[in-house]
Amino acid sequence: MKFYINRTDWGKFLGQISKTYRIYAPQEIANELAYQLLAPENVAQTIYGTYRAVQPFKTFFSLPQEKVTVVTSQPEKTIVLGVKNCDLKALQILDKIFLEGDFVDPFYRERRENTLIISSDCYQPKDTCFCTLLDNNPFPEKDFDLNVSPIDNGFLLEVGSPKGESFIASIREDLKEATSDLIEEKENKRKEAKKRVVEVNREFETKRPFSAIVKDEYASPVWEEVTKTCVECGACTNICPSCYCFLLVDTENGGKFPKVKFWDSCQHTGFARVAADVNPRAKLYERLRNRYLCKYEYRPENFGIVACTGCGRCVEACQGKIDKREVIKKLSEKEEK
Amino acid sequence: MAENPYLPVEAKIEKIIDETSNIKTFVLKPSRKIKFETGQFVQLTIPGIGEAPFTPSSSPYQTEKIEITIMKVGLLTGKLHEMREGEIIGIRGSYGQGYPFDDFYNKEVLVLGGGVGMAPLRSLLLTLLKNVDKFRRIVLCYGAKTPEDIVYKDAFPEWKKKRKLEILRSVDKAAPGWEETEGLVTVLLDKVKMDLRNSVAVVCGPPIMMKFGTLKLLDLGYKPENIYLSMEKNMSCGLGKCGHCALGKYYVCKDGPVFKYDLIKDVPDIWL
Ligand SMILES: Cc1cc2nc3c(=O)[nH]c(=O)nc-3n(C[C@H](O)[C@H](O)[C@H](O)COP(=O)(O)OP(=O)(O)OC[C@H]3O[C@@H](n4cnc5c(N)ncnc54)[C@H](O)[C@@H]3O)c2cc1C
Ligand code: SF4
Ligand code: SF4
Ligand code: FES
Repeated sequence: MKFYINRTDWGKFLGQISKTYRIYAPQEIANELAYQLLAPENVAQTIYGTYRAVQPFKTFFSLPQEKVTVVTSQPEKTIVLGVKNCDLKALQILDKIFLEGDFVDPFYRERRENTLIISSDCYQPKDTCFCTLLDNNPFPEKDFDLNVSPIDNGFLLEVGSPKGESFIASIREDLKEATSDLIEEKENKRKEAKKRVVEVNREFETKRPFSAIVKDEYASPVWEEVTKTCVECGACTNICPSCYCFLLVDTENGGKFPKVKFWDSCQHTGFARVAADVNPRAKLYERLRNRYLCKYEYRPENFGIVACTGCGRCVEACQGKIDKREVIKKLSEKEEK
Repeated sequence: MAENPYLPVEAKIEKIIDETSNIKTFVLKPSRKIKFETGQFVQLTIPGIGEAPFTPSSSPYQTEKIEITIMKVGLLTGKLHEMREGEIIGIRGSYGQGYPFDDFYNKEVLVLGGGVGMAPLRSLLLTLLKNVDKFRRIVLCYGAKTPEDIVYKDAFPEWKKKRKLEILRSVDKAAPGWEETEGLVTVLLDKVKMDLRNSVAVVCGPPIMMKFGTLKLLDLGYKPENIYLSMEKNMSCGLGKCGHCALGKYYVCKDGPVFKYDLIKDVPDIWL
């Protein structure tokens, strides 16, 4: 069921809610949108219908650096507002890794369970966005607790989970069911946005899917060519919402076996090195190639989900101006010519 | 409180046995019983230094204590070699997939080992010998650099007396008194006659030996699905989460370390 709520009522509701939840939402900072912790009086200034925030959504669940010696319960419940579809898709990968299999990461689970996700449509994609090249849409269809689509002077609300349902329980009675006109208007805005992403990426379209290209072109000289400007900074993996790799480091203070978990990057020289200096990916281009294989071939084979959502963050973050779309296009051309 | 898979338990070093100039076997008594299947691994921790994966070399039927044979190659293993009996380290596990013994029943089992790769293979041998009637024949081909570099020197005379077990050994470089084969371990494979239609091969050793050992087995006519490899990769978590041990789409800590060769043969550059 979809509801309509006007801007003022929604703001009031969030103001109420912010007494029991920490609310993070995109705010404009230095020409970027960044998730910020909101003071109750600022909740109304949340920016919804634009593109994704600069921080990857994963920062709320897998911390850049975290002591993993003792599992402590999360003190406060958290809401993240204005999450875009590219980040919801990325979270699927992290959920598979941290919540499934024989072992569950209790630190991740604790945060995940205590966080309510309020996503929103993306009506102003950036030039670096390429979700549509990966068959994703710039608007959420699942994996949220609540989705808001900015419309007229308010929002269409869509409930996506029991958690979302109980979240709006207190205002449920006052909510108006969305009219078919409003729903149609929303659909049109979504279509428009999607068209824009498709337009922006016209020049990067390939005949084969990315998964086939990275696999077929494993031996292509293009890998080495495009890696020339890579400075091995690891920005691409840090900023990526679906990169989850980490390193456990044993420290000396605090508990019997104090361990700290750090985000790690497969782009770094020693990532896969084993004893006696044997390194399966000694060359930088081998590591860069591995990242593409991880995203487009390996994780899809494991989970049936492409592990790059086309959020474009790595394109913006790269010191070497390496654009994934260009790399894939180049790889594909060698063959398709 | 939720289970914390990253946290080790204490293990006391009960005994240290010198195997060679750079290999020692540590007899550990964990504060909580650590069960394992042959071929699975554990993570050993020294606070402030680090953590690394090792496969127990003792029998999985012996549950009070775990023996781990460790070659000194770097930081953590160097520190372990400096430790004394009575000291405490951390242990967690066991992790991964061990040897699928069911697949070996009624077959000839060829075991190919090199250097410290003999560690999991000793555990394997002990398990095979314990259930010896289930297997048709066991052949161990083991290679080391020099006679001094052979691990478990005391165990071999015992093993040589065992029914159904044949042992062939080689050293890269012989020394006075060495009466067995001189040459790379793969030359031993020319000396054994296995019933290929009914045999499996298990390989564990340094990367280069794994490569040439496997290629030789294929040459001899072994099918990829009858060759079992213990893959060594960099590891951090051991839990299938940190990504360090990636081998194509597999995580060695979770999907291995023991792999059937046919599963991984198409992964590019597996021998590195
Ligand atoms: C499944 C499995 C089973 C194994 N079983 C055995 C066994 O039974 N016996 C045996 O002897 N060996 C075994 N090994 C190999 C053993 O794990 C390595 O020899 C050991 O990790 C070497 O550790 P080191 O610190 O001494 O070596 P180093 O060369 O110092 O380090 C090894 C790795 O750790 C990284 N590293 C080193 N220092 C740091 C640091 N400060 N911070 C972050 N990373 C660092 C390096 O990049 C390298 O990748 C096994 C390996 C695997 C994967
Ligand atoms: S690889 Fe780049 S575009 Fe793809 S999800 Fe990661 S940061 Fe976004
Ligand atoms: S962000 Fe660019 S320069 Fe930095 S490691 Fe990634 S590809 Fe290389
Ligand atoms: S060691 Fe962490 S995923 Fe295998």
